[in-house]
Amino acid sequence: MEAMESKINGIVVLGLKGKLDTSTAPQLQEKLFASITGGEKQFAIDCAQLEYISSAGLRVLLLAAKQLRNGSGKIVLYALKTHVKEVFDLAGFSAAFPLLNSQAEALLSFKN
Amino acid sequence: MSAQVTVSFKNQLGEIERLGQVVTEFAQCQHWSPQVLFEVNVSLEEILTNVISYAYEDDKEHEIVLRLSSADGEITAEVEDEGRPFNPLEVAEPDINKPIEERQVGGLGIYLVRKFMTDLTYERREEKNLLTLKKKIVNER
Repeated sequence: MEAMESKINGIVVLGLKGKLDTSTAPQLQEKLFASITGGEKQFAIDCAQLEYISSAGLRVLLLAAKQLRNGSGKIVLYALKTHVKEVFDLAGFSAAFPLLNSQAEALLSFKN
Repeated sequence: MSAQVTVSFKNQLGEIERLGQVVTEFAQCQHWSPQVLFEVNVSLEEILTNVISYAYEDDKEHEIVLRLSSADGEITAEVEDEGRPFNPLEVAEPDINKPIEERQVGGLGIYLVRKFMTDLTYERREEKNLLTLKKKIVNER
């Protein structure tokens, strides 16, 4: 998995590429928690090139979201491939995470 | 068209990457759809991760055997390990309707496996755990 980080309007945009599984989830966890510890509160995860996710990936996102809620932060995801979205739906994560279609929508969701 | 492959893995999380390669290679030979491949890949990753992470009480190297076969529109995967007796089918289902603050991180893996596979059976046989996963692929999307 590769994770490309950029910042737009104070929002950390993290582009994930490849597989988010048992072996790569710790990398994402480290990256997200380093940013959260560094004071970042708003995250938009670009899933356009995310090909695969297992429960290990869901777990990291859940941990990050819980941590962010404590500090009134937020994490949204966008441009999920159909089969990746299916995992979110099955796990009931679609209700817990805002899943948006595009980066524009994702960035807009932080306005309110 | 039927085919079978037997592969051994060590109880190290680094093996998950090789598992993905093994399953993908088998899927390509058997012309599974990308969706079927994805669902089988996730299921086997969840099962192997559980075994590697929780089955052993010592730090020694252990062998986990995967027998993957495909025949008559059905995929069968058998996972055999010599770890402590553990029936993943007894794991409580997570409450997927709880709000995020109350969601637990455990139990999600086996929950996905149940959703993705048609049938799961567990047996404790000769000091080994044997989990059999079946997935029908007739009329698959």
